[in-house]
Amino acid sequence: MKRGVTAKTPKQALTHSCQKQTDLSAWKASVLQTTGCKNGQKPTGDEQQTASDDFDHRQDPLEEALTYLKKAKDRTSQKNEVLQKHLVTVEKIAQEKGLAPEELDILLNIALSGKFAEVVSTRLLKNLVPTSVITEDSVISAVSWLCVGKCSRTTQVIFLKWLIAMFDFIDQKEQVNALYGFFFGFLQVEKLFPFACHVLYLLTRKKNVKPFRVRRILDLQTKFGAEPPLQALLSLYKNFCPEMVSVTLPTNTKVQFKNSENLWKMAISNIKRRLYGTPLTSQPNLIDTTCPQSRKRKWHTKLVLPVSSAHSSSSPESQRTSPIDLIGHGDTFPVEQLQTFPQLLENIHCLELPSRIGSVLANRLLLHYVNCVSDDSVYRRMYYWMGQTLREECPWHKVENQQFEQEFKDFLRKIFEAECFLQEGFSSCEEFLYRSLPFWDGCSCRSQVLQLVSWIPLSTFSEMKSYLFKPLAQLFFTSSLYFKCSVLECLRELLLNWLNWHIMQKGTTTKSAADLLNTTLSGLVSSVADLIHFVGWLSTVALRLENNSAFLMHFILDFYEIVSDVYLMFNLPLVVMPPAGVFYTALLSMDSVSLDHLCYIMYRYRANLIAAKQNQQAKKTVLQFKFSSQTCQEYNQYITAMVGCLWTSNVFQKDFHHQGIRMDPEVLERTRVKAYRKSFNIVYHPALTGYAMLFLQEAQSGDRTPNFQLIQGRRWEWYLEYLYTQELQGLKLFIKSSINRASQSSQAQASK
Amino acid sequence: MSTLTAFGKLPTLNSATILLVGTNEIFQQQFAETILEETQDLKINIHLADCLPLPPERDHIRPRIDLIVFMVNMQSKHSYSNIEASLVHLDANFFLGKVCFLATGAGRLNQISVDVNAVLKLADLYCSPVLFCELECKKIRIATAQRLLRMLQICAGHMSGVSALSFSSLMKNSIDDSSFLA
Repeated sequence: MKRGVTAKTPKQALTHSCQKQTDLSAWKASVLQTTGCKNGQKPTGDEQQTASDDFDHRQDPLEEALTYLKKAKDRTSQKNEVLQKHLVTVEKIAQEKGLAPEELDILLNIALSGKFAEVVSTRLLKNLVPTSVITEDSVISAVSWLCVGKCSRTTQVIFLKWLIAMFDFIDQKEQVNALYGFFFGFLQVEKLFPFACHVLYLLTRKKNVKPFRVRRILDLQTKFGAEPPLQALLSLYKNFCPEMVSVTLPTNTKVQFKNSENLWKMAISNIKRRLYGTPLTSQPNLIDTTCPQSRKRKWHTKLVLPVSSAHSSSSPESQRTSPIDLIGHGDTFPVEQLQTFPQLLENIHCLELPSRIGSVLANRLLLHYVNCVSDDSVYRRMYYWMGQTLREECPWHKVENQQFEQEFKDFLRKIFEAECFLQEGFSSCEEFLYRSLPFWDGCSCRSQVLQLVSWIPLSTFSEMKSYLFKPLAQLFFTSSLYFKCSVLECLRELLLNWLNWHIMQKGTTTKSAADLLNTTLSGLVSSVADLIHFVGWLSTVALRLENNSAFLMHFILDFYEIVSDVYLMFNLPLVVMPPAGVFYTALLSMDSVSLDHLCYIMYRYRANLIAAKQNQQAKKTVLQFKFSSQTCQEYNQYITAMVGCLWTSNVFQKDFHHQGIRMDPEVLERTRVKAYRKSFNIVYHPALTGYAMLFLQEAQSGDRTPNFQLIQGRRWEWYLEYLYTQELQGLKLFIKSSINRASQSSQAQASK
Repeated sequence: MSTLTAFGKLPTLNSATILLVGTNEIFQQQFAETILEETQDLKINIHLADCLPLPPERDHIRPRIDLIVFMVNMQSKHSYSNIEASLVHLDANFFLGKVCFLATGAGRLNQISVDVNAVLKLADLYCSPVLFCELECKKIRIATAQRLLRMLQICAGHMSGVSALSFSSLMKNSIDDSSFLA
């Protein structure tokens, strides 16, 4: 008891002023001062009266008990009645109201000093229920008792269990962390080792991970076998420093620690309820408990920034009092206090990432930090952690994860958002997709998985196709129309992301890297071209399978809208025409939206090809163009077919595309369609004939059967103007650019 | 010889027949019910068998079979070898797009006793696609049933312009064959 309260008063400067506390009533006053009445220590119940028989009536029975316990002779028999009575008092008050930090401190010291029999110590430890917080110093002195070995192993075990259960209530953990080595030493003791593992697991920070510790744990593993607690600690180490732990760890260690909270579970939940119930929870140290602590799953804990991760020593006072703080980590900024961008800029040199690397995902400022930091280990940590989590939680790899699909969805969404923010994909995510897409049913987490696909980093297409595009294509062909549309949408996003990445690269590379750029550019161009061809192939097949659905066509044309503008908008020397299966289906489609969209796309192709040709002639770029004369030829064939179809009505004769709609007159005669030649021009085209009808109705005013023959000559012009006013912008652009109106008279003749 | 033939019988009007082969009767039953719950324009007949060949005596009342699904239970070696043995009794014409493998239980990695690669290899050998599916989960079961129904429609010739053969070539060689690269 020499180490009583007095020994530690300087350290308690935070909670109450430096005063010698030899007198218990003085101590009591200070307690009431600092903690107020909320600890509820005022004597109210009946039991106090019995307890305070031979003491001052105003004195708290708990206080009395504490005084007794402190003053009692060593090795007082546990059967001593007075002792028993006081123990009951302590028990009762602790369970009902909890104990103030100072009271905890006293009791902890008594319990661990080995003053009483083991039964008494155990009983005391089991009743150490805090009302609000546990001071760091109490823990430190407790650990020092542990080290002098005054108490039995069982007491030590219970203390460690208590520490684990109450870990969140410790107000500051900086100095507790300084004791890391001591806790690590406890690993040697077989009885303590699982609990020491757990404490270390809670305590570990990146700086604690050292090669010698890894070695020691590996030694222990050979000694004790692959115990789950050791595995858990090792995997945490690997999380922090993947490069130090080279062994592969089993991934199926779900329950790693036995639940140590049981002894105090009820009491803790009572405290929490009471604290939430009263508005007195203004204690800054309780942030941790006010966080959503629904431990239904580790998801929350994985993605929420841990409060205790960094050093919460915010007041300079506390730093002055403890030299450890000054030497150790006075120079780091606690990440959980990071709120604004200017703060980030000021402290960017002294940020330490939290122990839960996953919490970075949801924190914009930390993502900024991750983005600009050049430290490799951040990426390695992120890579390892994310890969591990994705593998572990993937619902179609482990059936038992099915019930947590929603959590997994949220997780994938968080990753996706982070990827959008960083404008780049995570490589562990890419690996996960490669690994798991072949087994994907196309149903669980559909939209989230597809979103992640759109952030796959650019790489050689041949590498991607067997892992990624083959399973995706299989799913695509056997799944519903909506699935097809969402796959096309995600591939469109993928193309956009690749192109944007290219633009960014171009902006950052210097001239000296031009050679490098040239080589990677050809790689990029061929990858992009392969992707476009792949989508073209998918689209052709999908249109056939889905009976030329207009809805599907919309997504396909959206994709080609980007493809047509790759050269001008993204500065990539590549022009790829859509396959005939898409082009002709759109050209002959029944709805005007598809036709209009196609017209717009062809207009963009024309602009891109002209620009490319001009640049080539001017030799502005030495880059090898990916479009050959074949592309131009294909474009010309398409444009001939289109003009022949919509304007000059000679598509059946003049379509030279090998998959086109050129037909012999004899065949056409046999269809017995009158004036078959004109049947796809802007008046008779099934997508536009409705407009023609409305135009005639407006012009004729009357319910005569509309005579489409009338639309020619001057009326043809009016009809065109009418079409332009009907929001057919693509058609307008196409006709204005691709049709030579100077020869209009001859075409008018031809159309007759 | 009582091998099942792919084109030995005429198709029945407006109906399609699927044959589920597998050793786990509960799964078969469950899956068949799921398929039937999906509303379809055409009449779906489902036949269940635990192995091939089918008994020859009732061959005359059996309709033409459009799609055969081999359900491989990844957790049972027996199921795999049973299917391996059954495949021998099939008319080669079936492998022109009318066979599909359904690997179930791949989601319990620690209980797998059949190598995933072995199944993929087997399917590749017989030119047929593999679908992965966890039959315990209703949502996945429904999604898989829908996928199989699409295939069945094609195999039974109800999708104009797409034949079972062309479809299987799409499913199998999606990428290896670089036909889409113009």
